[in-house]
Amino acid sequence: MTVEQSQKIAVPGVSSLRTFAARIPWKRIALVVGSYAACVIVFTAFSAWQGANPLTIIPTMLQSSLLDPSAFSQTLLRAVPVGFAALAAAIPARAGLVNVGGEGQLIMGAVAATGTGLAVGGSIPGVLGILVTVVAGMAAGAIWAGISAALKVWLGAAESVTSLLMNFIANDIMLFLIYEPWKDPNGSGQPQSRPLSDGIRLEPIFGLDINVAVIVLLVFAVGMWLVISKTGWGFALRVTGGNPVAASRNGLPTKSLALSAMMVGGALAGLGGALNLIGVEGQLRPDITETFGYIGFLACFLGRNDPIKAVIAAILFSAIALSGNGLQITEGLDGSVVNVLLGAIVLTMLAVGRRQGETL
Amino acid sequence: MNIVGEILTTAIPGSVAIAYPALGELISERGGVINLGTEGAMLAGALSGFAVTITTGNIWLGILAAVLAGAACGAVHAYAVVIRKANQLASGLVVWFLALGITSVLGASYNGQVVTPLASIPIPGLSSIPVIGQALFNQNALVYVAYILVPGIWWFISYTRPGLILRATGERPAVVFAGGHNPTLVRYVAVTVGSALAGVGGAELALGIVGNWSDDMTSGYGFVAVAVVIFARWNPFGVAIGAYLFGVCLAVSSVVQAQGIAINQYVLDALPYAVTVVVLVVVSAFGRNNAPESQREALSEIQ
Repeated sequence: MTVEQSQKIAVPGVSSLRTFAARIPWKRIALVVGSYAACVIVFTAFSAWQGANPLTIIPTMLQSSLLDPSAFSQTLLRAVPVGFAALAAAIPARAGLVNVGGEGQLIMGAVAATGTGLAVGGSIPGVLGILVTVVAGMAAGAIWAGISAALKVWLGAAESVTSLLMNFIANDIMLFLIYEPWKDPNGSGQPQSRPLSDGIRLEPIFGLDINVAVIVLLVFAVGMWLVISKTGWGFALRVTGGNPVAASRNGLPTKSLALSAMMVGGALAGLGGALNLIGVEGQLRPDITETFGYIGFLACFLGRNDPIKAVIAAILFSAIALSGNGLQITEGLDGSVVNVLLGAIVLTMLAVGRRQGETL
Repeated sequence: MNIVGEILTTAIPGSVAIAYPALGELISERGGVINLGTEGAMLAGALSGFAVTITTGNIWLGILAAVLAGAACGAVHAYAVVIRKANQLASGLVVWFLALGITSVLGASYNGQVVTPLASIPIPGLSSIPVIGQALFNQNALVYVAYILVPGIWWFISYTRPGLILRATGERPAVVFAGGHNPTLVRYVAVTVGSALAGVGGAELALGIVGNWSDDMTSGYGFVAVAVVIFARWNPFGVAIGAYLFGVCLAVSSVVQAQGIAINQYVLDALPYAVTVVVLVVVSAFGRNNAPESQREALSEIQ
């Protein structure tokens, strides 16, 4: 910062192109680009060590996530749960709350959508049935996150820890439902719930493999950005997150703000879980979320709690996560190898990104 | 033996598997850094311990490998958090993700293999105490080390000069700096050592209890360890009690199933996490708030 400022002052009025070139922090750009390149190289080396062909890894990954139209559709569909989980972390973060419970809220959204879908399937027609299902998912996510928020606001328990542990409880609830009351009698040995009727599944749109959920995600990304930056509620959240003491001295209802921020976050994750269920899965199965909630949290972190950037990061992460399938099929690697790349990218950001927080 | 007695006595190995990461987390948090990467360090410790044991045939080399793997995870987290001032919770999750990815890839070839678990060593005299003797004093070596570590760490942080510096770093790093010490170095070491202990916890799981490796075998124990430290109010004896409580929850699950009692399996699986949340909430609501000062921010910090 100081270097840039001094350069600005030192060369006033010189040819603007030269000033511009001098102001570009070449060293910094080289460091950042070099670090991300290094992280891809390390990942490639790791995969090669595990028996993949180092020359075809990156092309395979791109092919199975971005370049092929149907693969890109899959990436966008995968971005729905990840992106909503990222939003679920972003909104509470603006109020100074840490929601690591996106995973559990996705699960509860999917569970509620399945329950509602199985109950109303066929009896409520078309769009209304879909709406009821989705709203049930949102409510379940909001309640699940609201528990953590209430424990924080009234009993002082750290919401970061309670929301994290509740992910495991949510997973056990889902497993119980899959194996006992909602078990699919025609499941041919696969543990899964009964499938939802076709009436409440999302249809493909635009002649592509994607469904309306992708549009909903993009709308919510922009919408949440507007809510945070342009509404009174969003302003109050940011004040509370920035300086809680100042917020309460100025009469802001910090408790209800914390509750509402967390519940809106939970509702978003619940929506993501429900849309993923009625759009892609059609029935509950174990590992339906496959750490999407945690990937969303990291995407939110990479996007620095900005809803739009968080969703863009979520799409990028979804592409990486999905490229694991390609590696599994053509290179014979374990699909979770892409978690290494995901972790390495965020770690690189931590290592060479702008410094955060205060020094000791 | 009646069922309550059986649960209470079979709880020891499980609670030791959580006591190591929790004690490590306690050291880290007393120094002012929360480490969700504990979960990753446990995974890394479990796999490297298992892999080295099966390759070399020496279980002690395996445990050493677990220590080193845990320390490596901790060093990564410490670099991000202490040197780069990154968000502690996000960095911890990143470390977990890295460890999850690496262990599931490298561990794939070890799935289904078995090693002989660490041998139980009955302590003469003590192990013949009625009822509790067998449970407490006929265990593997890692369990006995944990018995010593609990008072040892309590003594270290309460009564030694390095312990005082560690605590001061967790409260007011500026004061430590003014006192002529390097708070950055203290935190770096605390996180790395704490994470190494988490690696031992993973080794206890893989080598001490089951004798095999399976994908994501820690299933959230590292996160539970973080919660245990908080509800133990950053006290090693509290950690021991919390870890035992967790071990009891795990034992309830296995004993009840073995006895064929009709309680739903998924209710039992959720029990350890649910009990942890409930205890955390009760202690947070009614306990004294003696969190290290720099932790109060970190527990729900924004970036």
